[in-house]
Amino acid sequence: MDPVVQMRNIHKQFPHVKAVDGGRIDIQAGEIHALIGENGAGKSTLMRLLYGMYPLDSGTISVGGNVFSAPGYSTKEAIRMGIGMVHQEFMLVNELTVLENVILGFEPTLRGGRLDFSRAEENIGRYIEDYGLDVPLGRTVKTISVGTAQRVEIIKTLYRGAELLILDEPTAVLTPQETEQLFSILRTMRDGGKTIVFISHKLGEIMEIGDRITVMRAGKYVTTLNKKDTNPAELASLMVGREVPGDKPRVRAASTETVFSVEHLYVASDRELSTLRDVSFSIRRGEVLGIAGVDGNGQSELIEALTGLRKIQGGTARLFGRNIVGEKPRAIRAAGLGHIPEDRNVRGLNKDFTAAENLFAARIDEPRFGGWGILRKGAILGYAKNLIETFDIRPAAPEVRVAALSGGNAQKIVVAREIDAEKGFLIACQPTRGVDVGAIQAIRDTLNQAKARGVSILLVSTDLDEILTMSDRIVTLYKGRITSELVNENVNIESLGLAMMGGAQS
Amino acid sequence: MKRINPASIFNFTSIFNFIFSLLLPFVLGAIVVALLGHDPQEALRELFRGAFVGRLSLGTTLQKWVPILLTGLAFCITSQVRYFNIGVEGCFYMGALFSAGAGFLITGLPWYFHIPSCFFAGVLAGSVWAAIPGVLRVYWQVNESCSTIMFNYVAIQFAGFMIVNPWSAKSAASQTMPILPSAALSRLMPPSRANSGLFIALALYAAVFWIIRKTRLGFKMRSTGANPFFTDYMGIDSRRVVVLATALSGAVGGFAGSVETMGVYGNIIDGFSGWLAFDGMLAALISKNNLWLLPVYSFMIAALKTGALGMERFTGVPKALIDTIIAILIIFLSMDNLFRFRFHFHFPRRKSEEKAR
Amino acid sequence: METLSNIVTYSLVHATLRMSTPVVLATLAAVISRQGGITNIGIEGIMLFGAYFGFVSAWVSGNWLWGVAASVVAGVVVSAAIGIVHLKHNTHIFVIGFAMNMLALGGTRFLLQQMFNVSGALLVDKPVTLPILRLSLAERNPVTASLFSGYSLFELLAPLLVLGVWYVLYRTAAGLRLRSVGLHEPAARSAGIDVYRVKMRAILLSGVFAGIAGAHLSMGYSSMFVENMTNGRGFMALAAANFGGGNPIYAFLGCLVFGLSDSIAIRLQSTGIPAQFVLMVPYLVTVAVLTSAMIGHSRRSDAARIARKLTEEIQGKEIRGKANEKGKGS
Repeated sequence: MDPVVQMRNIHKQFPHVKAVDGGRIDIQAGEIHALIGENGAGKSTLMRLLYGMYPLDSGTISVGGNVFSAPGYSTKEAIRMGIGMVHQEFMLVNELTVLENVILGFEPTLRGGRLDFSRAEENIGRYIEDYGLDVPLGRTVKTISVGTAQRVEIIKTLYRGAELLILDEPTAVLTPQETEQLFSILRTMRDGGKTIVFISHKLGEIMEIGDRITVMRAGKYVTTLNKKDTNPAELASLMVGREVPGDKPRVRAASTETVFSVEHLYVASDRELSTLRDVSFSIRRGEVLGIAGVDGNGQSELIEALTGLRKIQGGTARLFGRNIVGEKPRAIRAAGLGHIPEDRNVRGLNKDFTAAENLFAARIDEPRFGGWGILRKGAILGYAKNLIETFDIRPAAPEVRVAALSGGNAQKIVVAREIDAEKGFLIACQPTRGVDVGAIQAIRDTLNQAKARGVSILLVSTDLDEILTMSDRIVTLYKGRITSELVNENVNIESLGLAMMGGAQS
Repeated sequence: MKRINPASIFNFTSIFNFIFSLLLPFVLGAIVVALLGHDPQEALRELFRGAFVGRLSLGTTLQKWVPILLTGLAFCITSQVRYFNIGVEGCFYMGALFSAGAGFLITGLPWYFHIPSCFFAGVLAGSVWAAIPGVLRVYWQVNESCSTIMFNYVAIQFAGFMIVNPWSAKSAASQTMPILPSAALSRLMPPSRANSGLFIALALYAAVFWIIRKTRLGFKMRSTGANPFFTDYMGIDSRRVVVLATALSGAVGGFAGSVETMGVYGNIIDGFSGWLAFDGMLAALISKNNLWLLPVYSFMIAALKTGALGMERFTGVPKALIDTIIAILIIFLSMDNLFRFRFHFHFPRRKSEEKAR
Repeated sequence: METLSNIVTYSLVHATLRMSTPVVLATLAAVISRQGGITNIGIEGIMLFGAYFGFVSAWVSGNWLWGVAASVVAGVVVSAAIGIVHLKHNTHIFVIGFAMNMLALGGTRFLLQQMFNVSGALLVDKPVTLPILRLSLAERNPVTASLFSGYSLFELLAPLLVLGVWYVLYRTAAGLRLRSVGLHEPAARSAGIDVYRVKMRAILLSGVFAGIAGAHLSMGYSSMFVENMTNGRGFMALAAANFGGGNPIYAFLGCLVFGLSDSIAIRLQSTGIPAQFVLMVPYLVTVAVLTSAMIGHSRRSDAARIARKLTEEIQGKEIRGKANEKGKGS
């Protein structure tokens, strides 16, 4: 069978990294083609090049026999060739309705450029029925859930006439049940003649959904395999290029001393779905409590409230016996809280600043970094050097700008700062999101060492594997309420997924 | 995505760009001068003489440099926290007005007490005036680029009222009573009105530069500008930092007004500024927050404005033409890649270097 | 009491429309560019150029239509320059905008001196102005005459233009594309929309309206050209667009508030309030309106609504809890 898409010898350089370095892929019509690799392997970039989002540095793309090379290839061209892409960050305009988002750029109009909403609804209704893509057309996007938004994105590409669909890490935001639903939609679409490229780094998923698999590593093409000729262990070693050390067995906490407790917490959000109601839990000394849930069910609000960044409407939160409700972030930090925020690019780091400045920022008012309001550069650099060494941050240069660092090393800066700041309690949100395998292991080891020292950790993650590997106990958060509390022994992923959907409500 | 390359500040392309951006407006101006029937060469000579040759010319350039430099600095301070303070003009008026008030209402002080108290009055008025829109922005998200423009007009009208009514000199021109000699700054190069305010301004400039680069407050300001979410999360109250920055900016703007009153005019005249602070703001904008470039650009604008007076007097070429040229100059200087394509052609080696990186 | 009845009369309606129309037209310019994500700070300068070239062309040709045409051409040329410099050469819109304003101020002053040898204001014997529409039926009675007759062309057209712009923005494909560019540029780009072209068109259209606003200022609102006659109206238009959140109808209402406060302020002058305070009013009202709009907006926001609801829920629980305790005690 002839491939519908051929990409050959693709190169793409970004200001600080060579994202794709000799990439290639052959995609055949009517298959689900899985594209796998570690974070930063260049899989998203390769597909974005196919979708015409960046200009190619060099290489050729052939789509259905038409050959394109750099430059002269654009998104518009890609759409015309029947390519559609669902991005990891959804490309939806929050303020517009679902219908307006779907037709944007390809609007059916009446005379005089007037929008023809009824014809648009008719056209879209076909896809809703054929593939079971249920969406509320009249609602504004900011009011719909993540899973629905993803279906809107799929409809959008179909509406634009896509025959080839690229999905970039589509399951990262879904529950196991929603993932199953998505997979069945994808299979229906494949059987209906569509071609699908599925980007992921989760091997289990790929073995389930992929027909053929292309592996990328460090921007380079590694190989393409048939699913039936391979196994997860082989894929893992191809992806990483070396032996992957497994997680060490978890050590249970024995203490009964409560370090942090939350009772009947109420926190308002700008969405009903993520408004917290009557949330209670407690954490013992040296214990890891995992909070599992689908993104947007109140995790961000909970963390913001506990760290003093969001107003608490009711309830108490006690850290070492002291009520921290109504305290400013600075006071809560002083009381002994360290906090790895969920998005290092928003709260975690100041990308235009140097590593040293990012490391010392939480301690800016300490007298050792300057008297009379004047900062002591020597003290700051010394402090930073120390942390950089301890946490093995590379490059080991305190004056390098954080924007120039890899995701893993940038995250290590956040972890180093917060581990150094905490005095017995750490909130870790998505501590390993978007970092490479080596850094994931280093960060998890760091957290486990802290735990062994007696630090209590509140771990918030949408990655169920992470929750299951690291937590002693797990609570699930659904629609802003706690739906179940489990001791992490023999918990299976299905029942956890069900609780995350409010199924096991007690 | 914009390419960030620190070395590019001093590469050929940008130097040629700078020189051509500088020359082109003058070439255009020369053409217009020639079309009007004047001698462009002579006009240019008089422009230069009017700005630099002789005590009066050079002194006037220095005198005009001070307010443009300081109002530009005021704008730069709030730019550090990503706040567009278009309201420096209002602070400039308030500073001038209140230091004038302190200049003739406070009597019986020796100059070494009187001058600081006048400065204090001007600085305080400016900082309070600037902090109001700052507070509106951080607590109610009122867009500062709208509110500060409105505050300019309010300040100008308020100053106009004080000049015409309670503090009026009761003379034909609308102006306030003159300040007492004990509040006047000494003149440097008579007959020009350059004054010792110049040295205080340069010292202030260096101080602010140092505050932004080296102090805790400066770090907090830069951090707030670069990422307010990060700053809040670090336990630094970004809203307070923004208000503080607006107050500091207003203080510098008010100080600039005080120098005008106490060093240049000796009182304040209705409409004395003529949107001087906008020149400062544009100088700050084209220097793109580079505190080294601001003095250069503001001096250039001051020199052009002063030279234009001489040029008009001796050649009859209207001063309004120079204002037009300054505007075009600013536009050209602010543009990226204006002449870039040519130099890529002439220096193909550079391209390969970039690739190798 | 007597002064109040002198101030608030039927003629206030006409006065309000008269005072607000120049800002309304400029506001349309601001709304269109704002919807494309651009704060067109150069509207002030475009208006000034429009006012100058409109007035002069109408006077020279003897026909107001030529005047309006010249204003529109001037608006398009200047806004094209703004668009190219901003979009193609990455100049911050504030730099090019303020520089354009400066250029307009200096340029019109220069042209006045060179072409007419005057400075300050250009007054001519027989200025050509925009037509004034009279309704003979209404003229018989002074009240109806004031309310329904004697409007300048654009004072009547402005509300229609507001509706037209609203229609284009919210009911047509072009409007949907423009709004998506302003709201979320990457989403628009991924829909294959040429963001540069959409923005450039928005700036050009903004220039058309700002040019018309200038024409109205020198030929309808007044019948002369004065240096810096825009006097901050371009900036007020940006404030009005901001107040309306980009919706031309709300922005129009904001303009009417300015117009009303302006015309009341003028009448206050007769009561002995100093002129400077009267002249301050529109600017203070602008800030007050902006602030109250923002406070109102945050009160009505989803977050505030949920917070209030949550507070009620908690209070309800506490009351119930206390009642339970009492119940147990008795």
